[in-house]
Amino acid sequence: MGEKEVESLVARTISRIMIPFIQLFGIYVIVHGETSPGGGFQGGVILGTSMILYGIVYGLSKAKKRVSKKHLIILISLGVLIYSGIGLMDMLSGGKYLQYDSLPLPVDAHETTALSILGVELGIGLTVMSATIILFIYLAGERIGAGMDNW
Amino acid sequence: MMQEIFEYTTLCLLATTLLCLYRAIVGPEPWDRAIAINVVGTKTIIIVVLIGYLFDSLYFVDVAIVYALFNFILTVALSKQIEFGGL
Repeated sequence: MGEKEVESLVARTISRIMIPFIQLFGIYVIVHGETSPGGGFQGGVILGTSMILYGIVYGLSKAKKRVSKKHLIILISLGVLIYSGIGLMDMLSGGKYLQYDSLPLPVDAHETTALSILGVELGIGLTVMSATIILFIYLAGERIGAGMDNW
Repeated sequence: MMQEIFEYTTLCLLATTLLCLYRAIVGPEPWDRAIAINVVGTKTIIIVVLIGYLFDSLYFVDVAIVYALFNFILTVALSKQIEFGGL
């Protein structure tokens, strides 16, 4: 069972136009995490969905060329590192784990909290985005017999 | 005035969504099901925006945009699944 590619011009053109806006909206959801619905996880899923749409419309082999497995795994680890790093920095500067206002930044407590939450959300978003893309390529490649070997 | 109009619009859309659901379950061909699911998604977007107006909250527009996004991707993936039998 080989790999299929959507030939419809409508689907290809609309996807090419939509993908940047999907990514922009994902970043919007991540950055506005504390004041609007959604947050790091949801924005990460939206960011990963843009790559899933690319993989569905343009075929899996082109999607594999766009992203590399090594970089995705590094991004997953980097997100967890950012999350736990901010938590541990809070502990080192005298607070509890993820007690946001204990970071010794040269701004007042509210802004310190907002900046720390932004960093944590960015970490979660990176991890979820990379994990979503990697899971999609694993599962879709398993189905059509183009496994992970040549990625 | 506008409140009642939007309430009754939401109820009518909910009632017609049930008809689309019937078509999605019974539909003899896969394409009927795909189009029915697409229409249900579109109605859901409008219902979410109307509920956002009724609750006087702008956040529902974000939810509606995400729903439209995933509805589009769902339709593309479903059509590909029906036509090729896989990704």
